[in-house]
Amino acid sequence: MRRLGGGLFAFSYTLLFFLFLFGPLVIMVITAFNSSAFPRVVPWECFTTDWFGVLVRNERLMTGLWTSLAIGLAVVAIAVPFGLAGALALADIGPRLRAGLYAVLITPILIPGVVLGISTIVFWSYVGRKLGAGYDTVFFNGLFLTLLGQVAFIASYAMLILSARLQRFDPTLTEAALDLGATPGQAFRKILLPFLKPALGSAAFITFLASFENYNTTVFTILAGNTFTTALASKIRLGTDPSLSALAVIIIAVTLIGAMVQEAHHRRRALLAGGRPERSWLYANPLTRLLTHPAAILLILLACASAIVWQASHHDAQACRADILSEKQRLQEKLLQEQQQRMQQRQTETPAAPAAPSNNPSPFGGAFNPGSLAPK
Amino acid sequence: MTMIARFFRDFSSRHGTGAASFVMAAVLFWIVFLILLPQLAMLDVSFRHNLPRPEIGGPKDVHTLDNYRYFLFGNSGGAALNALDIGVLVKTLVAAVLVTLLDILLCYPIAFILAHSASGAGARLMVIALIVPFWINDILRAFAFRILFGATGVINGVGLSLGLWTAPIDFIRADVALYAGLAYTYVLLMVFSIYNAVETLDRNQIEAARDMGASWWRVHWRIVLPVAKPGIASGATMVFMLTAGALAAPQILGGPSNLWFTQLIYQWFNDAGDWSRGSAYATILLVVCLAFVFVMMRIFRVSIGAIGR
Amino acid sequence: MTKDVVLDHVSIRFGGYTAVENAHLTIRGGEFFSFLGPSGCGKTTLLRCISGFVQPSEGRVLIGGEDMRNVGPNKRPTALIFQNLALFPLLTVAENIAFPLEVRRVGRKARRKRADELLEMIALPGTGDKKVHELSGGQKQRVAIARALAAEPDILLLDEPLSALDLKLRQHMRTELRAIQQRVGLTFIYITHDQGEALTMSDQVAVMNAGVIEQIDDPQTVYNQPRTPFVASFVGESNAISGVVLSQTGRLATLDTPLGPLVGQAAGGRTYLPRERCTLFVRPEQLFIADTPPEVNEIKARRVNEEFEGSIRTLYLEAGGKALRLYHMNAATSAALATGDGALTVSFKPEQATILPDDPALSG
Repeated sequence: MRRLGGGLFAFSYTLLFFLFLFGPLVIMVITAFNSSAFPRVVPWECFTTDWFGVLVRNERLMTGLWTSLAIGLAVVAIAVPFGLAGALALADIGPRLRAGLYAVLITPILIPGVVLGISTIVFWSYVGRKLGAGYDTVFFNGLFLTLLGQVAFIASYAMLILSARLQRFDPTLTEAALDLGATPGQAFRKILLPFLKPALGSAAFITFLASFENYNTTVFTILAGNTFTTALASKIRLGTDPSLSALAVIIIAVTLIGAMVQEAHHRRRALLAGGRPERSWLYANPLTRLLTHPAAILLILLACASAIVWQASHHDAQACRADILSEKQRLQEKLLQEQQQRMQQRQTETPAAPAAPSNNPSPFGGAFNPGSLAPK
Repeated sequence: MTMIARFFRDFSSRHGTGAASFVMAAVLFWIVFLILLPQLAMLDVSFRHNLPRPEIGGPKDVHTLDNYRYFLFGNSGGAALNALDIGVLVKTLVAAVLVTLLDILLCYPIAFILAHSASGAGARLMVIALIVPFWINDILRAFAFRILFGATGVINGVGLSLGLWTAPIDFIRADVALYAGLAYTYVLLMVFSIYNAVETLDRNQIEAARDMGASWWRVHWRIVLPVAKPGIASGATMVFMLTAGALAAPQILGGPSNLWFTQLIYQWFNDAGDWSRGSAYATILLVVCLAFVFVMMRIFRVSIGAIGR
Repeated sequence: MTKDVVLDHVSIRFGGYTAVENAHLTIRGGEFFSFLGPSGCGKTTLLRCISGFVQPSEGRVLIGGEDMRNVGPNKRPTALIFQNLALFPLLTVAENIAFPLEVRRVGRKARRKRADELLEMIALPGTGDKKVHELSGGQKQRVAIARALAAEPDILLLDEPLSALDLKLRQHMRTELRAIQQRVGLTFIYITHDQGEALTMSDQVAVMNAGVIEQIDDPQTVYNQPRTPFVASFVGESNAISGVVLSQTGRLATLDTPLGPLVGQAAGGRTYLPRERCTLFVRPEQLFIADTPPEVNEIKARRVNEEFEGSIRTLYLEAGGKALRLYHMNAATSAALATGDGALTVSFKPEQATILPDDPALSG
């Protein structure tokens, strides 16, 4: 094998690595469809889609979702321009100051999120106090504080993305524009910004995601409120059920659709840029050509997804669940009888022993009745 | 100040006064109001007593070392060290180092394969496969590991049915689930950091070394690793800081008796409502972590400019 | 329409480093003016100073009699063709050419019309909707010129625009550039390190070295009557022979050299002091093989090597411990070329050699 890292070792290592990456997700996805009240694969009880219903009816999560979306959009609107400003400043500042500025603008990524969260509320409550503002003002508003706390470090992400693109910008293009009579502002708008456009798009996407997912900072700055992520975390800490797996299924599905559309877009662009799209058989036929368009692929995938959702929403696990329930009840009765027998035996042996059957460490725990959670 | 003024003048002559004002205002606001002043405010509060609001600014509102003293000695008044909290900090740092090392070992081969063995479509597929798991929320990822490692989870199920062990193992209490979950969470960061560095390596160099009869581990040790070093350093710094500062994963995957230092901060701040002590603990975490990273960067001769590249 | 460019004692410094030292010259309107010099001699800095990207540390730049201090690059009547051309990669060819009009808020239709006219002029009609990366090197070159012309400048500045092209295309573009210049009648200020480009295209050439302009003359004078040792050795090939002055009669001076006494012309009408150290420069094509002993400048040489290059033959000679080079036209035959031992006599006409002082401060 001439190629280093090629061959059997590389193949099996890659396989194991991706098993590690996807194994937990696959298992989580499976648990979303098991009617067992505790998220698990075995024992398999009934195939059900009820957990999606449970998820949607969780009001705390749903209001958190809207809060998160609003915060996410606001963070994008502020962090991307800030990141752009940082990247531009880094690109144009003298070499001696550049290292220092880079270190300052990169530290928010390194500062632990909890520290950022705490420092944000401490500082703005201090400002609020100095201004004599009450608790109903912006300085004690969870949304406002979360916005500031998140922007502090998410703008650094945007800056990194935009800086990478900016490094490939040829500064003589700006000079050429100026030389041809453009004002500095025109050169900025007509030459530099269009060049940065793809990076601005991915920066907006990444900053939104970072904001939506953030927990460490937000859990402090949101104060008494809730975002989607903090609601999720407190739900998991208090006790879990498979509706969270159902959430994971939705997110994974959306991600996969997004990845496929993105890949289709990429391939199409590569094919078009190659200059000879007509060589590919996909492009010879107008119908297949239309089908390669990312929008068409998105539509097809969405159609598939909604068909699955419609089909699944009509799935009824009642019969199966009733079976399981009666099975469980039988088992329970059997256990109960055995226990009673044991207790009677024990009572006859040591009559003074206290009975503690409530701590029964049955593998089913206390979640006996998933049917009570399901819609009627 | 003159430097800032000169920067403003040069910048506006290139990109216009509007762009220059925007850049100046945004960067200054960001640095001053979002980074610098909040940290200073936190530092200040950490040196104060936790007072009810009416007493703030009153005669009792003085600077004090109480909160730091508490971290070191607890309520013993200097007689004995606060073994509990110091222990938690040390444990957090050690665990973060372990997770970082685990990630380096795990990701170096993949980054190398991605950069130098996979081709065209295969490489793109690998990149997508790497990224997809990370669109999923941190919290849900931790949740997946809880399902995996729970007493009735898949691992225990498989282990029991294969007869590898006879009673369910409490992976959560043993922190196995936590380390695995943390390592998993930051895999992507590490892979792409190393990938970016390794990718710049000319494949001919490797082949030349192979031609001269170097064994594959020697090729890695002498040729690939030096190129990968800045990437490893960048990835390790980020993974270490993020792991040491992680809150969600320890809350979800941590055993009931094993605390992460961030959880102590959270408890002081949110459960006890003691902002001063919470700030002091946060400051301790920040300073200790940054100091650790800087020492490491010194030892391995890496500059901060390498981070994030 | 025609505006003179005046550099009035311009010096440009970056920190402690002097890029341009006391440049003082006038470029007449409608002229093709070249700055010739090795890389790093400050010629690009001077060009960027004229276009407004660099401010002079001392002195003034005047265009059409107006002081250009505090006039931005976008307000000057100049257009610069960058070394890398700096075509906008995201715009089409037509949008590139029409960019100067777009920023002046000319309507879309008028813009397109002007772009098509210019494309016609540079012989690239119908390429307006192509992307820049679809063009060849020579086509990009012409688009860059068209874009600069669309700005309707009085002065076109060109920063080594041909350096990225291959030899054939470069020679073709030389004639084309000169033709365009004569057609549009603009002032062209051209920067190059290639003496061939400077000599073939220019009306005037300024030779620069280490930030200093050493000579400004028309191409023939620069070539035939170099004013400094640098110009003599940088522009064209030269054999440099150093020695001390024996005597001077009129413009002709005699030098005592290791090759014997040699007579040449004192540069710029200088008068040398006896025993002053000087160098005599004679071009390889001015050296000839003397079949009969010449009156003056008789050099006994030995042939070391020779190269056949078609029309000419380069002889590598050795005389008095000094290596000489001689271009021999193949049409001219010589008996001496055939002798077996390689010994031959070479000579040159005194008025075709230039004598320059090693220390210019001594003589006047």
